[in-house]
Amino acid sequence: MTRSLRSGWGVAPAAVMTAIGVYVPLLLLFRLSLCAPARGRGFYEPGSWTLQNYARLADPLVARTAAFTIVFGLTVAAVSVALGYASALFLYRLTERGQRIGLALLLLPKTAGLLATLFGIQYWLDRGLFAALIGEVYFVFPYSVLVLFAALRRIDPDWLGAARGLGASRWQIFRRIVLPLSRPALLVAFQLSALWGLGSFLGPLFLGEPRHSTLSVEFHRRAFEYGEWPLAAAEATLLLGLLLLAVVGLPSIARQPPRRTP
Amino acid sequence: MVDAIRFEEVSFRYGAADVVRGVTLSAAPGEFLSLLGPSGCGKTTLLKLVGGYLEPEGGRIWMSGQEMTRTPPQSRQIGMVFQNYALFPHLTARLNVAFGLEVRGEPAATTARRVEEMLDRVRLETALRDRLPAELSGGQQQRVALARALAFAPRLLLLDEPFASLDRHLRDQLRGELRRIHQESGVTTLLVTHDQEEALGISDRIAVMHGGRILQDGTPRDLYERPRGEFVAGFLGEANIVPGDLLDRSPRRRFLVRPEQIRLDGDRPGQVRSVCYQGATALLEVETDQFLWKVRAPATARIRPGEAVRLALPGDPWECGGESDEGSNA
Repeated sequence: MTRSLRSGWGVAPAAVMTAIGVYVPLLLLFRLSLCAPARGRGFYEPGSWTLQNYARLADPLVARTAAFTIVFGLTVAAVSVALGYASALFLYRLTERGQRIGLALLLLPKTAGLLATLFGIQYWLDRGLFAALIGEVYFVFPYSVLVLFAALRRIDPDWLGAARGLGASRWQIFRRIVLPLSRPALLVAFQLSALWGLGSFLGPLFLGEPRHSTLSVEFHRRAFEYGEWPLAAAEATLLLGLLLLAVVGLPSIARQPPRRTP
Repeated sequence: MVDAIRFEEVSFRYGAADVVRGVTLSAAPGEFLSLLGPSGCGKTTLLKLVGGYLEPEGGRIWMSGQEMTRTPPQSRQIGMVFQNYALFPHLTARLNVAFGLEVRGEPAATTARRVEEMLDRVRLETALRDRLPAELSGGQQQRVALARALAFAPRLLLLDEPFASLDRHLRDQLRGELRRIHQESGVTTLLVTHDQEEALGISDRIAVMHGGRILQDGTPRDLYERPRGEFVAGFLGEANIVPGDLLDRSPRRRFLVRPEQIRLDGDRPGQVRSVCYQGATALLEVETDQFLWKVRAPATARIRPGEAVRLALPGDPWECGGESDEGSNA
């Protein structure tokens, strides 16, 4: 048996888990989005095929919610990455001990549980767009700190020393060395944060006003308050499309050929 | 003539450890000065003090008559080649070399011209100039690092063990080239190395460091032939450190006899213990009744272990230690 074949078998358990845990439910969700709404009892007509749920996505309310989701999600991502990068740069300049303490402080609130955190923010801020944004950023930005800090740690201090010796100011070192070298990590952090941000649920639900509904809030309401499962499934599929776009699309927007000559 | 670089009683400590202890040393403009010593002797720390990456606890550092003790690196106009070259991994060879000129706001045309000039000087092939450091070999990276350090016409060039990670053949070749580049650019150069052969072959002057102090500085020939103290004698090249009574002198004094100063046509009987063939010559260990001598013989003599030989010792051995010597047994 060849080596590649054996390592191919090695990923089999992960592939099976992914299939069972992710793809099968997604396929079921997609199938559900193609079912007609229930005429009698139950939440949908089993065995029916229709595109009417997708047609209903053109409803101005859904379109507005989708637009809000995109703007809100990307804002969450941008703020998280900016805040995360600033924190990571701060951590990078601390001593080893300071870094450990800093990272612990950053991750400690994660142990408090989402709801406790939410009520904390609710207590502190009035319900509204700002509170919803703060809530989501609060969930997301520690992950971008981790990603960015790990990338900064891979920057050899000698590179910075060499740049100083060559006459670069702090700002020039940041712009010409640190920033380009952390670019790939910034992209990953932004993607990760955008995935979280586009899927925002708890922040808008508990901290925002009704008009600040994201797609997640909307299809949760659609499914569990109105019992319109097929339409909820179509909305979920729309969100899935947005997330896919974030994974596939963002890197190609951000890619730029490196400069090769002086 | 004002010294290009001068240390006055410079000292530095890491925590409780005195790493550099009252070093006073200078280099004339255009001179190639090597700091030679075993690892941990403080030579790299001294280099960082010159570069401005560390600030001394005491003493002062002057460059061309201007005090630089607390001047930050970016204002010192010093080119440095790091041990691992520290090339910027996201920039091509050309852009690495251009860096020091670009941050100084040189016009693009001047920068481009200067970059090609420097890469010509270090003889990096044109085809390699748009490659990233990871796409270059160790020797090629070193050429780029050297070109980058020289591009902005620094007042001083610092080299931190620049040949440490290269194989022997390449090291010899680049050492010759470094010498040529030094002569062409005329820049005062400070090399840190633990390799005595390297220091002997390339430097105008060598300062031997040990335990944070400069034990001796002088020309390579000075240090090799007239070392002050047993440490310097033993650190540069092969050495017999001999008690005086074996040479009919005061038993309290110790003398340096280089292996090549001993001939095999004398009257002191001995037996060859081992032979280390080194190409042109062979290094023998010869046991006499009192001492195990290192002796250099032409390889053509074809001496074998166990053979009986008669040694002729030099009549005027250099006294390198004894009771009053500080550097001994260090």
